[in-house]
Amino acid sequence: MAAPPPVSREPASNSSASDQPVVVLEQLSKKYGTFTALEDLSLKLYPGQILGLIGPNGAGKTTAIKILVGLIRPTSGTAQIAGADCVRDSHQIKRLVGYMPDRFGAYDNMRVREYLDFFGAAFGIRCKTRIARIAEVMEITGTEYMKDRFVESLSHGMQQRVGLARTLLHDPRVLILDEPVNGLDPQARIEMRDLLIRLAGLGKTLIVTSHILPELSRICDRVAILTHGRMRAFGTVEEIGRQVSQRRTMEAHLASSEQVAAAAQTIRRHLEADAEVTEVPLEATVRFRSARPEQELGEVLAQLVKANIRVTQFREVQTDLEEAFMTFTRPAESTPAASPSPGGVTHV
Amino acid sequence: MFKALVLRELMTVLRQPRMLALQCGLVTLFTLLVAVRWPTDARVALSGVRSQEVFQLFALGLLAIVLLLLPVFPATNIVREKQQGTLALLLNTPLGPWRILFGKLLALSALAAIIFATSLPAASACYAMGGLSWSMLCSVYGLLVLAALEYLTLGLLISSHANSTDAAVRGTYGTMLGLSVLSLGPHYFFQGTKGALADGGEYLRSLSPFAAMMSLLSAGDMGGNGLISTTDVARRFMIGALVISTIAALWTVSRLNHTIFDQARAAGKISDDQSWQVQTARRLFFLVDPQRRSQGIGSFTNPVMVKEFRCRRFGRLHWLLRLVAVCAVLSLGLTYAATAGTLDWGVETIGSILVVMQVALVVLITPSLSSGLLSQEIESGGWQLLQMTPLSTWQIVWGKLLSVIVPLALILCATLPGYVVMVYIEPGMKLQVQRVVICLVATAVFAMLLSAAVGSLFSRTATATAAAYTVLLTICAVPLLIWLGRDAPFGHDVVETALQFNPIAAALSVIRLPGFRDYTLIPANWWFLGIVSVISLIVLLVRTGRVSRAR
Repeated sequence: MAAPPPVSREPASNSSASDQPVVVLEQLSKKYGTFTALEDLSLKLYPGQILGLIGPNGAGKTTAIKILVGLIRPTSGTAQIAGADCVRDSHQIKRLVGYMPDRFGAYDNMRVREYLDFFGAAFGIRCKTRIARIAEVMEITGTEYMKDRFVESLSHGMQQRVGLARTLLHDPRVLILDEPVNGLDPQARIEMRDLLIRLAGLGKTLIVTSHILPELSRICDRVAILTHGRMRAFGTVEEIGRQVSQRRTMEAHLASSEQVAAAAQTIRRHLEADAEVTEVPLEATVRFRSARPEQELGEVLAQLVKANIRVTQFREVQTDLEEAFMTFTRPAESTPAASPSPGGVTHV
Repeated sequence: MFKALVLRELMTVLRQPRMLALQCGLVTLFTLLVAVRWPTDARVALSGVRSQEVFQLFALGLLAIVLLLLPVFPATNIVREKQQGTLALLLNTPLGPWRILFGKLLALSALAAIIFATSLPAASACYAMGGLSWSMLCSVYGLLVLAALEYLTLGLLISSHANSTDAAVRGTYGTMLGLSVLSLGPHYFFQGTKGALADGGEYLRSLSPFAAMMSLLSAGDMGGNGLISTTDVARRFMIGALVISTIAALWTVSRLNHTIFDQARAAGKISDDQSWQVQTARRLFFLVDPQRRSQGIGSFTNPVMVKEFRCRRFGRLHWLLRLVAVCAVLSLGLTYAATAGTLDWGVETIGSILVVMQVALVVLITPSLSSGLLSQEIESGGWQLLQMTPLSTWQIVWGKLLSVIVPLALILCATLPGYVVMVYIEPGMKLQVQRVVICLVATAVFAMLLSAAVGSLFSRTATATAAAYTVLLTICAVPLLIWLGRDAPFGHDVVETALQFNPIAAALSVIRLPGFRDYTLIPANWWFLGIVSVISLIVLLVRTGRVSRAR
């Protein structure tokens, strides 16, 4: 199979396709006796958005997902998908949501086409329409070539693709995918990532959980970090990065490593006393973290130039999702819970 | 290292709380077996007849328990290790296949020894009553040990070939039932005659531990109809058990190497893509070619039923059609032979063969089809996916039950031509045949619902299958054990009451088979089957509802 060309993605805005949110969670909580699995989770998702739900094991991700698909009842709060309540309108939810659990759910001695045919029939799709729809989802997910293979004999990556084809059969508005890239090799991971982006491009709203954070940061419009059942941060990767630290990480690449010490000295002179400045002679780079505003950082660059230091690059280093994740999960108790702002951006 | 293997094997099983419950249950059962027949009057029979009667019942009960309980342990042993990946680790150790096999066999034998040990107090009580010799006691336990060894090695062999635990359980219980019960069939019908068929029946009977035990206890011949057999069945069985155990052990050892994992993934070959000659040949051979590209599920068909048919290996249409064809040809052939006078059998005997054949098929096939209806979905993760479809719980259950009803209906219909010919020859048998058909239908419904209900209580398919087989075989076997002691120690009323719970006995009494014709078993048996079926259906629905409910 020829690999599809890589797909790039611009984050979808909150009002790109529609002003009406598709997924609305309001103060959703789930308790098992005295144990709180999920506490006051509130968020909104708009059509075409991809939400990355991340958190350590036992953070409440799967609980949140299972409430959304109607497998678990919340203790309090509401969850709605396209206006349908996840508890009261569970029948409607089944048609609105495509759910791919972390376990594939293979049936022995069943070929891929038979497998899809069964789930299509279970969704009540008429025979002729179903045949056409199966061909369509197979094309979208690139599974046509394995239609006669037995599902239990497929590799993990193939099974994930077939699982995705299964969730698409009834053309749901929202796709909820539990660990879709878990256990996939790099090539399969890239293919899955492109596939998810393409599905978002088709107007589907996606909720994805994953432990592979670089993958999420590449495809998600919004990221929610959960720990101990509480949402610690919600927003775009950049917004979350800024929530992690008020200080920005900057990097100055120099033409020669001999000037590293001089550059570091100049930078220190123009920053606050507690600013962290790191010299990396091997890379001919000086990295520093500072809370100074943009204009003052520009002054630092001017001073470097004035000191005859040849700067080839002067840029901000984005806080990556892994760093944000570690920041929020480590001091979990001390971090306050996040609450979404009207625009869908959460302030911590 | 060998010791570590044995300990691991043994501790894994003994750590389970259910093993403690099993041991307590066994001690209670053995105590009851003896206590029920313990003399209540002050007189003591000097000949020890009473003691021997009690011991006969005890020994046969112990054998039945060993055969019902023990096979599940070896059946799941190797295949589970293969699935969990621990077999690969084990094969990578310096332990060779011989030591692995004997380690497993030793640990499993220790389990058998525990079962025997729980029976010793009851055996001692029988011995204390007098009339029993040490040699008799030792011979009985020797036979039990050999029977256990035979089924343990066979279980391990089947487990080494199986790809799933439930398939291994099915295969092992099927083999056990075939060797211990079905092997008695030919002798029953050919006894007293001469020729190859009679000799074959005699040899086949010697494979059954029940026949050997009866012979050892001098309790007469099983289903002997008053004929006395001079064959030393016990000795033949012991030799046979040793030979079978040796062959099974050697065969299992040959499987315990890298080849057990060396299987290519199925490429998914499709007949439609092959030449028309191949397609025609396959069509002729299979009748329904399993490798043909299947059509889409009809818009008005229950998709769960079709799914069940497609995803089960055992019970697929091409096998069922063959089975039905064999049953139909056999029933017609037997009836024709009786009509043409080539066989000196009465219509009742022919009818009995048909009944035994059908009941055996129903009892063998039904638990394997219906016990895993719920547990298989839960185990494979398919239940969550089914819940996410708009199908209601009732639609799912009905689809699954339909997938069992259809093959059972085919099996029942297969012998109908034989019955029709029978009624044509002997019009007076019309009412009997009608009642037999009702008995068979009731048995099939009972077996299906009971297996499904018992299986729904477990989340692992192998456990569900083993439990369903155990319950069904207990209901079928225990009354027959009591029937074996119909002259002594049990009286007519006790035997009749016990047989009223047995669907096989009811059908055989209706067809008026010698040995069963003296008991009036219907409608009591039909009431029993009906009530248990309804309760089972309720249990199945409640369990399914509980599993489906959002928590």
